[in-house]
Amino acid sequence: MTTAQERAELLAEIGGQNKATMGAVLGTGSIAKATERADGTMEATIRIPEDAMAWEPAVLIMPHSGVIELTIINDDKNTHACLLPSNGDKKFIGLLNHSKGRATLELDGPGYYWYGSPAGNDEGRGLTAAIVVTGEVPPEAKLDRPAQPRP
Amino acid sequence: MTVEYVDAGEAFNHNQLSSLPHSAPDVTRGVNYERILNARNESNNWITYYGDYDGKRYSLLDQINADNVKNLKVAWIHQASSTGLIASTSTYAFEACPIVVDGVMFVTGWDGWLWALDAVTGEQLWRYKHAVPFDVTLCCANVNRGCAVANGKVYMVTQNAQLLAIDATNGQKVWQKTIGDVRAGESASIAPLVVKDTIITGSAGGEYGVRGHIDCWDLETGEQRWRTYTVPKPGEPGSETWPADGEAWQRGGANHWVTGTFDPELNLYYAGTGNPAPDFDGEVREGDNLYTDSVVAVDVDTGEIKWHYQFTPHDLWDYDSTMEMTLFERDGKKLLAHFDKNGYMFVLDRTNGELQHVSPFVDRIDWGTITRDGKFLPRKYPDKEGEPCHFFPGPAGAKEWTHASYNPEHDLFYVPVADVGATATRRRREFKEGMPYWGAAVEVDVDNMAGSVSAFDSHGEEKWRYRLNVPMAASTLATAGNVVFAGTPTGEFLALHAETGEKLWSFQCGSGHHSSPSTFTVDGKQYVSVPVGWGGWLEGIVPGMSGQGHGAALITFAL
Repeated sequence: MTTAQERAELLAEIGGQNKATMGAVLGTGSIAKATERADGTMEATIRIPEDAMAWEPAVLIMPHSGVIELTIINDDKNTHACLLPSNGDKKFIGLLNHSKGRATLELDGPGYYWYGSPAGNDEGRGLTAAIVVTGEVPPEAKLDRPAQPRP
Repeated sequence: MTVEYVDAGEAFNHNQLSSLPHSAPDVTRGVNYERILNARNESNNWITYYGDYDGKRYSLLDQINADNVKNLKVAWIHQASSTGLIASTSTYAFEACPIVVDGVMFVTGWDGWLWALDAVTGEQLWRYKHAVPFDVTLCCANVNRGCAVANGKVYMVTQNAQLLAIDATNGQKVWQKTIGDVRAGESASIAPLVVKDTIITGSAGGEYGVRGHIDCWDLETGEQRWRTYTVPKPGEPGSETWPADGEAWQRGGANHWVTGTFDPELNLYYAGTGNPAPDFDGEVREGDNLYTDSVVAVDVDTGEIKWHYQFTPHDLWDYDSTMEMTLFERDGKKLLAHFDKNGYMFVLDRTNGELQHVSPFVDRIDWGTITRDGKFLPRKYPDKEGEPCHFFPGPAGAKEWTHASYNPEHDLFYVPVADVGATATRRRREFKEGMPYWGAAVEVDVDNMAGSVSAFDSHGEEKWRYRLNVPMAASTLATAGNVVFAGTPTGEFLALHAETGEKLWSFQCGSGHHSSPSTFTVDGKQYVSVPVGWGGWLEGIVPGMSGQGHGAALITFAL
């Protein structure tokens, strides 16, 4: 049985660029939660650290469905991009070295979405991350039945 | 020293980096109930899912006909593909039926895609892409069967159970409604149907123990008009067919996941319903389990079920009855024909549901027998825990959701037939919301399979058969040109003679067919369009072809 400490050690082994593998293994990075304004709009910052080829956080949690305003920062000394999910069409932004931009997304929930940097194999090297929308569907969309057991 | 960031600006729609004009002529503005009532008489267009409310998938166009179809050539190809990580990454498929109005085609893809195309050139005019969660619960792949059009809008559902109204001139969303609970395992794949000033949808998720329903929404606002559950609560009509003291009805299935047909004179919507849940473990749901595996005739104004007919009472083989209910007339009688997964063709009086006759339409049926007068005699089914049971047809049925067509001139139904068996071994499991709830281990045969496009008259007599060595998995299209079009799992798009089944023409599309072709004219020239893109529930339909590889194109043919 792998302990929590062993897990952290093993993750460290496979983390980062050109260590255990060429790139960072997806889903092994950091996690953070978006903040919420009084009007329900959510806010968060996602960032590419220098030589990380990965998004921070690797998992961004939205407390509910709706609109999120992202600040997107490229602290790397290379050029990347960002292609994000949003109802209507994917949102694209180019990210020159040391640049900062914004994106406004509308996402349903619950559910989670992957996004990435659509350039070369940025996505495979580690520049693929998740947005996790938590919560429930609106009450009127629920089935007319008693509450059911969940896993 | 702090260095100022370069301003990267605001993220914008990815489709701005394309040649798209982002606009289309306002062709759906004049599409209303009156026009859809007469859809067959404007065969130059294909304005509703089946081409008409009656579900015949029959076009009056005859420019392309049995004499000249051998000259059919590719006019244009629309290509699409998957970008990034999407739900059902390995099993998405192109299952839609293209809608065409006055030279503009509207077609849905997998994963929330909707395209408006120039129907003559194939040029992409605009596109809409809904964001579909990666983890949405999809029993049978990332698919969508089509859209509806009316009053300047395009209507579609998404895999995460949303109903969308899209501006048909620019692809912008007008409104959105959540129509199901993704946490419960609900999803949506149905092509909506416009009836009067409403739009009708249904739900998917029968493999997850949901309670099926049919919904009616206001065409302009999205406000709900009615919801009818297809599994009754205790005390409601039909509830006596479920265990009285149990919870089985709460997870009973009976999902309406394929578009129904509509008789405007009777004001009835004929909805097919899906399997009961758990699919193969009947001991936890004793009784007939209404209204699973049934046709329910629903008053479109109120949602009231006026009558029903159950094709597979107490189903133990996963024999959904969601596929089309074709409306036709014979000897002055209003009838309905249905080719069920269980291998039998049923003809009913559609005014009251009275059975006219039953007949088999596939060679191998050994789960049991249904007599011509409708006596239901099951023989083989998963019964004892851990004991394998092999039966024909397998759980994808003798005909999956893909549609038959009907040529009234010849009184012939053209049926995409699948002939493959399966082994189910009962394995009871506790119900947990959002988890698969089959009650069995299931393995569909990878060899010993066959298929055909078979022609039956309305009495159930087979008139001809075009044989394949794999099960059919795509809808047929019949035209007044005496031609039947059908796509095969191996990629051929066939034109068959409507009276003899003789192969007149074929084209290798490069990927298997799992969709519904349509036909139309623009400026007097006839076209036939077929979405091509192998995928879907292949482990159930034809697992022997599940390694065939993907495709994702819409191919349009003309003389």
